[in-house]
Amino acid sequence: MTPLNLTTAFYLLFTYTVGLIFAVGVILRIYQYATTPQPVNIPLTPAPLTRGGALARILGEVFFFKSLFKSNKATWLFGYAFHISFFLLIFMHFLRHFIYANPLPWWYNIFVDIGIICGIIMVLSLLFLLLRRVVVERIKFISLFQDYLILILLMLIGLAGLSLNYVLTPAALTVVDNSLDPYMNGLLTFQFTNIPANPLFLIHYTLVMLLVAYIPFSKVMHFIGIFFSPTRVMVDNPVEERYYRPGAKDLSI
Amino acid sequence: MAKPKEKYKVPVLDGNINIPRIVPGASAYEHMIEAQKDDMEALGFPSKLQDGWKEKAIGVFKEILDNNKALRDYMDICVRCGACTDKCQFFLGTSDPNNMPVQRQELMRKVYRYYFTPAGFFKNLSNSQELTEEVLKDWFTYFYQCSECRRCSLYCPYGIDTAEVTMAARQIMDSIGLGQKYATEVIHKVFKTGNNIGIPAPALRNTLDDLEEEIKDETGKDVKIPMDVEGVDVLLVPPSADFFAMPHMESLKGYAKVFHKAGISYTVSSYASEAGNFGMFLGSYKNMKEINKRIWDEARRLKVKRVIVGECGHAWRAAYQYSNTMNGPFDFLDSKYKSPTHICDFTLDLINKGAIRLDKSANDDKVVTFHDSCNVARGSRMGDYRGGQFEIPRQLIKAAANHFVELREGTTRESTFCCGAGGGLLTEEVMNIRIAGSMPRMQTVKEAVDNHKVNFYALICAICKTQFSKIFPTYGFDAEMVGGIHQLVSNAIIL
Repeated sequence: MTPLNLTTAFYLLFTYTVGLIFAVGVILRIYQYATTPQPVNIPLTPAPLTRGGALARILGEVFFFKSLFKSNKATWLFGYAFHISFFLLIFMHFLRHFIYANPLPWWYNIFVDIGIICGIIMVLSLLFLLLRRVVVERIKFISLFQDYLILILLMLIGLAGLSLNYVLTPAALTVVDNSLDPYMNGLLTFQFTNIPANPLFLIHYTLVMLLVAYIPFSKVMHFIGIFFSPTRVMVDNPVEERYYRPGAKDLSI
Repeated sequence: MAKPKEKYKVPVLDGNINIPRIVPGASAYEHMIEAQKDDMEALGFPSKLQDGWKEKAIGVFKEILDNNKALRDYMDICVRCGACTDKCQFFLGTSDPNNMPVQRQELMRKVYRYYFTPAGFFKNLSNSQELTEEVLKDWFTYFYQCSECRRCSLYCPYGIDTAEVTMAARQIMDSIGLGQKYATEVIHKVFKTGNNIGIPAPALRNTLDDLEEEIKDETGKDVKIPMDVEGVDVLLVPPSADFFAMPHMESLKGYAKVFHKAGISYTVSSYASEAGNFGMFLGSYKNMKEINKRIWDEARRLKVKRVIVGECGHAWRAAYQYSNTMNGPFDFLDSKYKSPTHICDFTLDLINKGAIRLDKSANDDKVVTFHDSCNVARGSRMGDYRGGQFEIPRQLIKAAANHFVELREGTTRESTFCCGAGGGLLTEEVMNIRIAGSMPRMQTVKEAVDNHKVNFYALICAICKTQFSKIFPTYGFDAEMVGGIHQLVSNAIIL
């Protein structure tokens, strides 16, 4: 076993810190949303009359962005393209870990190509979402620093990731791949090995870590918050089932 | 009352609903008159701004965040995608960016960030702001240019409801003594007299006598409108405007005829003479509950079997959605009617059962269209199926009139525009906001009048009726076009 270098030591500490911030931050937020009482029933009607219906409604929002589709087709298209490609990429990054073996499965190159296409779609849709913030007067007016920050951070992550495939030679990429797997395993098993030293990889990795650490403090929390949104998750059944929260306080007095 | 303005800014109608270019501060000049001392005290609020208001406000803000899931969630999760920016009638009408739902919320969210999130550390960079007098002034202006109609929430990918944000802001302002004269005055009147208009019991009886006489003159029938009668089947709770305002009274005559013909005993109450609930507009749980409680106290006292609510939008939401939570359960009612029934649901059911018959030809001079009221469309339900709040009024209109046309697609049902004066905006001092806010709806009215010769604008909301009766003439339409669905029923019912 090779001794660990200083870079790896730094990244190990960095990664665990980020993981802790993310896990604690997100769990605290979930706890907060879940335990805050909702004094009255406020589903946006026409709303489902059953819990199952309400679940279907929220899944329709999560998987198809149905409300956004109703309001703005272009934003829906590019927003949807971004989210789908982004999630496919996250999924494939995890999946890669399990299928990267010697010898590689015959379809590994197709797998990588799909990833690259997703990466390109992700960056292009982010570019559209960014342009929209700059070009459309109303959207420009409402956009804040943090809105540009997250778009640019995501674009840089995408570009850095793609650059691994386009800038590096296949041989150099294989070197990264070969040392990435043991490093990732090490994070879980505490059998640490050195992180791939390629600077493009390290940029990609660093940016991802920054994003993950920023999530609990950012608007990205919408991926949790939507499941607690009273107008969407509540059931329109005040007659059939009394909605009663004895703790509901009058807050204005 | 504020002095009526000499001149109003009335948009020219061309039938199009265009998204305007933004004009910052365009409607900043129009704001509410501050509440009076005795009204504020009657509602349990401080009478005026006092020293230490800022700390108090932040304390109340924190309390609401800790006790209201909607606000807690909605403060965090907006991504400023902009889906709502072109959906609010007040933005479309005024061009003021603070009337874009997201920006209205931002007035509160920037204060939230400052006091309750780490982003507050980065002040200007993250757009975090201390609650200064300046900010409070913006709150008082723009949180009273929102009618809490929930149209933005319909189009938001996360369902963020500006109405909830507006209610929270109004709660915070009320709690430090900055109230709105109109709504607080109205609620105070309910506590004193039982209704928003402030009609005492003898005057109410007089007006009911007059209405009975009118019906007698028109039809020759003795249709009674009983008041405070014990032991009848139904307690009818209309919005108090139905007793005194036009065209609202025509609908009250309709209700009376329906009860008369169906032979169902009923009464109105002088104690619970108001279906409306302005406590909802303030977002004040206590006031909302107190106002709502009058109905149920009276239902118990009069030993009725059933409660029926008249044509009023937010009243129906309060009655349908909140009654059971706040003052239920209603075990003393007939087990078939465990919650209030909407008058349209009630009448349509009688028609379907053959208990009353309508002669549609009585309304043959009318081409009718229907405006979905926001709180009925997006805040409640009628009947026992999803979307009943859209079907039941339409079926009732079609049962009462031969000529019915829909307003422009995309502006009806859950996508309906607010009339522009809900949420406590129905007051003279913000007349320009009311006119601007009704603009998108008036464009579709113009289209319906031009293309279909619509001459009757059917409503099921007292605020809509008052607002449109006032707004139609400013846009050059006849106020007589405005009326309730039960006005059509009143014309057509065979007594």
